[in-house]
Amino acid sequence: MQVANRNRKARATVVLAVLCLVLQLALAPNVALGNGRANFALVFTACFALAHGAARSTVVAGFLSGLLFDLSSTSPIGLMAFCLTATGYVLGQSAREQAVGDLASSVVSTAAASLAVALVYHLAMLLVGQTSSIIDALFLRALPTALLTLVAFLPFAYYFSRVRTHGPSLGGGRHSSGSLGGRGL
Amino acid sequence: MCLVVSIALFTLSCQSGGTGPLEAVRGAFQTVTSPVRSLGAAITAPVRGLGNIFSNLTADQATLSELQDEVDELRARNAELEEDASSAQRLQDLLDLRDTNDLQSVAARIISGSTDSWSSTVTLDKGSSSGLSAGMPVTTSSGVIGQIVSCSSTTSTVRLLSDESSSISAMVQSSRAQGMLTGSASGEVRLEMVSTSQEVTTGDVIVTSGLGGVFPKGLPIGEVVSVTNNPGDLYLDIFVELYADTSRSEEVLVITSLTEDQRASSDDIAEADAQERGGASTGDDDDSADDQAPNAGDGSDGSSDGTGE
Repeated sequence: MQVANRNRKARATVVLAVLCLVLQLALAPNVALGNGRANFALVFTACFALAHGAARSTVVAGFLSGLLFDLSSTSPIGLMAFCLTATGYVLGQSAREQAVGDLASSVVSTAAASLAVALVYHLAMLLVGQTSSIIDALFLRALPTALLTLVAFLPFAYYFSRVRTHGPSLGGGRHSSGSLGGRGL
Repeated sequence: MCLVVSIALFTLSCQSGGTGPLEAVRGAFQTVTSPVRSLGAAITAPVRGLGNIFSNLTADQATLSELQDEVDELRARNAELEEDASSAQRLQDLLDLRDTNDLQSVAARIISGSTDSWSSTVTLDKGSSSGLSAGMPVTTSSGVIGQIVSCSSTTSTVRLLSDESSSISAMVQSSRAQGMLTGSASGEVRLEMVSTSQEVTTGDVIVTSGLGGVFPKGLPIGEVVSVTNNPGDLYLDIFVELYADTSRSEEVLVITSLTEDQRASSDDIAEADAQERGGASTGDDDDSADDQAPNAGDGSDGSSDGTGE
């Protein structure tokens, strides 16, 4: 039974990863708010953290999704990987404390993570000389990016809180059913 | 571990700039994923304007003012270019006309219309210093407009075909019926001296006949808009609409000399005489026909300004 659940969860993770990758490549460049664009790599990391909790795989997922984000952009490679590695760890820790299907808390924690990642990322870009204006970096890029990322995360958050909570395999916290939501992976 | 690798990659990427193995990996990744990007661009194309709206909403006032100034400048520039293109097209048409008819000519520009209310004239920006002289015919790309009646060193006055005192030899292109094209005070242009035995119908094209040696043979003038054959009349009553509209023409050609081919041949003159004799024999008043024979020549109004031949 655990093997079946594990397979189902792996399949869901792959689908989620492919979906976020396609959205990052196809949708994000074409939907802008100011100079900001949605970060589906962070959305994937947040979803993975909600599903798997504080597991090592969450950190690795954050790192890999950030690395793919870096490869798809023109910014220095490794910066988003660093940000999402840290984000994966933090969100995994917070997901462990959340109840299954707690939409509000997952949205709040993801919003905070999104804002933090956007600020760190764009300030780092400012430091390495990719942009020269802090106003541009913070208000025209970081904040719109954080907002769009949060908006992009909302459908996924709704899906996890309303749909998948009835299933046996999702939920990242202490109240999740079975053994797939914790550190077991 | 992942954090360390991230920082190492970031450092390496910053140091290597736009080259190195990391950039090669990035290039390969972007090549592989380019179909997905293209697909996304194609799918979102219809709604991409929405993103522009958001971008516009977030643009600051200075940017908008700058863009507005740029739009104004480009709009003015566009109007200027359209004017240049239009002028170039008209000049090209004149060149085509000159090449087609092998005209010895000087290009000039209309700079003003008639300064009085009783004559239909236009003023050109070239005069005797450019080799122009009174009597020279003037045409646009669409048709003949008239004849120079006076020249200063830098300007020339052209009497239009619609002027009351204008009279040139012309003929119907299809039937070769010869006549005199004369203006009127009302601005109407009539083809006179065409006998009732000739076949003229509405829509026939009127061209210069070349009789008199001023206008080259075959230049378009206009087309017949009405033909009336009054019982008992010797000649048809023909009204002509001119092709050239001097109110819209700006560039013209002044024909400075004619080649031998452009003059009416002896056969043309003989044909005109034959038509005139034929027309005279059908009427009662032979004297009037003799007085106004078509081969009297262009500008045969006998004016004293030297335009008549």
